[in-house]
Amino acid sequence: MGYVVQVIVDALSLGGLYALTALGIGLIFSVMRLANFAHAEFITCAAYALFALSGHPLVMAVSAAVLVAVALAVLTERVAFRPLRAADQATMLIASFAVSVLIQKLLIFAVGSRAKPLDPLPVLAETLNVGGVQIGLLKIVTIVTCAILLLALLFLLKRTRLGLQMRAAAEDFTMSRLVGVRADVVIAVAFVVSGVLAAAVAILYAAQTGFVQPRLGVQIVIIAFVATVIGGLGNLWGVVAGGLLVGMASSFLQAFLPADLRPFREAILFLAVILVVLFRPNGLFPARGLKERV
Amino acid sequence: MSHRSATPASTPQADLKGLSASTAPVWREELRRLSPLFILLGAILLIAPLGMMGDIVLERRVTLALVNLVAVVGLYIFMGNSGILTFSAVGFMAIGAYVSALTTLNPMLKQTFLPNLPDWLNALQISPLAGTLAAGCVAAAVAAVVGWPLMRLSGIAAAIATLSLLIIAYIGLGNWTSVTGGQTSLMGLNTWVKLWPAAIWACVAVTIAFVYQETRWALALRATREDEVAARASALLPVPLRLIAFVISAFVSGMAGALYGHFLGTLRVETFYLDSTFLFLTMLVVGGQRSLTGAVVGTFAISLLAELLRLLEVGIPMGPVALSAPAGLGDVVLAGVMLAILVFRPQGITGGREVIWPRRHAPTPKQKEETQ
Amino acid sequence: MTQAELRVRDLTVRYGKVVALRHVAMHIDPGEIVSIIGPNGAGKTTLLSAIAGLVPATVGEITYEQQSLLGAPLERTVRCGIAMVPEGRHVFAGLTVLENLQLGATIRNDASAVEAEIEEYFDQFPILGERRHGHAGLLSGGEQQMLVIVRALLAQPRLLMLDEPSLGLAPRVTEQIYDIIRRVRDDGVTVLVVEQNAGRALAASDRTYVISGGEIRLTGPSTELEKHPGFEAAYFGLGEGVIE
Repeated sequence: MGYVVQVIVDALSLGGLYALTALGIGLIFSVMRLANFAHAEFITCAAYALFALSGHPLVMAVSAAVLVAVALAVLTERVAFRPLRAADQATMLIASFAVSVLIQKLLIFAVGSRAKPLDPLPVLAETLNVGGVQIGLLKIVTIVTCAILLLALLFLLKRTRLGLQMRAAAEDFTMSRLVGVRADVVIAVAFVVSGVLAAAVAILYAAQTGFVQPRLGVQIVIIAFVATVIGGLGNLWGVVAGGLLVGMASSFLQAFLPADLRPFREAILFLAVILVVLFRPNGLFPARGLKERV
Repeated sequence: MSHRSATPASTPQADLKGLSASTAPVWREELRRLSPLFILLGAILLIAPLGMMGDIVLERRVTLALVNLVAVVGLYIFMGNSGILTFSAVGFMAIGAYVSALTTLNPMLKQTFLPNLPDWLNALQISPLAGTLAAGCVAAAVAAVVGWPLMRLSGIAAAIATLSLLIIAYIGLGNWTSVTGGQTSLMGLNTWVKLWPAAIWACVAVTIAFVYQETRWALALRATREDEVAARASALLPVPLRLIAFVISAFVSGMAGALYGHFLGTLRVETFYLDSTFLFLTMLVVGGQRSLTGAVVGTFAISLLAELLRLLEVGIPMGPVALSAPAGLGDVVLAGVMLAILVFRPQGITGGREVIWPRRHAPTPKQKEETQ
Repeated sequence: MTQAELRVRDLTVRYGKVVALRHVAMHIDPGEIVSIIGPNGAGKTTLLSAIAGLVPATVGEITYEQQSLLGAPLERTVRCGIAMVPEGRHVFAGLTVLENLQLGATIRNDASAVEAEIEEYFDQFPILGERRHGHAGLLSGGEQQMLVIVRALLAQPRLLMLDEPSLGLAPRVTEQIYDIIRRVRDDGVTVLVVEQNAGRALAASDRTYVISGGEIRLTGPSTELEKHPGFEAAYFGLGEGVIE
């Protein structure tokens, strides 16, 4: 029983991180049809910012991480993606791959490729005893943080004018511009939000793994990409559901798969991606009135 | 006849010009048609000897460029003709590399590194040539099976599916410990891929790509690339056409993987993942993804650039001091070049055209247009 | 003659090698309903799209209230006072009716006035009011057309452009839509409407341009155009003329 509860908590905290990452990618895809590989580097750079300020007060380190991720997101949009806005999706995808590699190599160039130990949230190392079950405080905080960020985003999208404009742009970009939605503003805001989400993921993920290295973001983003596709590219609620689903699938497969099959569990996820792309191109959770996205 | 130029918007005109200009003897027209192949093979055979004009490091570099050329041509065969972005080529390289390694490695060595290998595979030892062909064939067979359902995808869906294939291949090979050795390196491969063998295989790959793109399957495939709906309307079914290209592409990629293994002498699954995918994509996109000439030009241009950057990192002696750039700069510059090409010249250096022997008659309007 | 509100001079638009519009000149005066008619592929939608900034002009100029519209980003069109209702009823299908209307007022900053105005429209078009929290994609074709017109009006445009507002609608619904268009004009908004249904357009408009093969073939007051002997020829791309 206790074991099952632990697995569920693990699954939720992992799923939450994937959901936030997938949401960062899905948000940008929904407004500009860009599958952004470089999201990985937003996460990695935020983690390194955290590392650089690890001796300083937590507030400072966290703000620096958020600032770095947001600045990087806005900068890449301005320099690389804006000139390609009219290009086809494949070209934009290659471009985001190039941006991702460029930043990753710059990072290796600057700080080297070795992993460095990092424990940004030492206070959360304790475990709680809930009804006889040992649960890491960090896991709880991760779940709560993910929930708060999801609610905040829900508020932004559903209750503000900017959010309404973003949803309109996601649905019909040209028509939204015809009613006066400013394309540059909506896209910039999408990148800012994705930067914030990336920073949150960086902090929580670094706290769970205990180190930073230049490929940290890639590991998460590759899996979150699965969630984005399974949830339906550009369909934000589907993407969140996809993230949770993938986190849970990954945790459950890890927990219950026979030991010699465990290393292959991610291959199973990618097989699922291919099946979804083939048979449910709008994802497992298609939104109403949605046109074909892929 | 649009194989003369990869700008199919002008296909009808090109066709007419071809007819009206055919007052020249048929054999001369035929020769001109084949001229891109001869020019590209000539370029390879001219570049290869450069590897003998310096130290062993230079020779290794030129050899690597030629092996990379095989890989880029493999990528081009599908991407260039179908216009669909694919990430799986490097996965087929990985398959080819391991097939060749497992079929050519000394049984004694296999016994040591891979004790759990099935007996028949352990006992098998075939020649390097047979191993390379086997690599291509197995990769092609895998491509035929997985490609069959995937070929109805295009655009970003195809990119996602083929990326998933690459990742599955990476995870699969990296954890299939009894056959591939998993995360540990597989060592002791026969390193027969020296300068000239590499040059010959590069010529073979370019010839395969050229012969394929002259077939009517490839012509029809390029028609679907420009306008899928119109192509369907004229009864061109994209799925089988794409599958042919995908299988041939995987065959060449599989051979490229075998060459890679026998160039390095050591195999690691890591070698065949995102970094090399990015390198080959860069070479193809920089050269111009819609022509074979683009694949060749891009490979050599990026190889040359990488070599210059490497020299810069080692340091250029300037009198008493050596001017040197910090290590790692090369990778940064390559990614930057890729991005710049995408933004400023998305059709690549060649603009998607083939090199072709000029006509000796007065230039046709189309050629004038090209020289503008 | 007063200064024209919208003026198009020598407009040529190309899609690649295909010329969609060739040296087109036209104007609209304040308070008019002007219609553009012509067969399929004549260039009607291209003309409207060029004015709205959806397609770039190859040559020529488009001025609205003496300001050039060329080269401006798409989102400036509505800020100049021109609202466009494109062909095919582009509602934001996944958004609610109310949200669609709120988006119509994107460029305005008087939230309470907008709210009151939306309520007035709900009274005028009760079907929209009933469905205010329903997805716009679930409305019928005629209701969607109504919604996009009202959405465009919420930007308080001085010029309303409609592309084939009757396309695919039942005759009775088309009648309603044209009723709305007339009311809009009575409120002082200039209207430019593109129609394939020539009779419909002539009946509803003050002046008409007949466009065919990318060129304006005939123009004049709608009532006289109908009786003009060259009308049919012009419609099918023959002849050229102006009725003054």
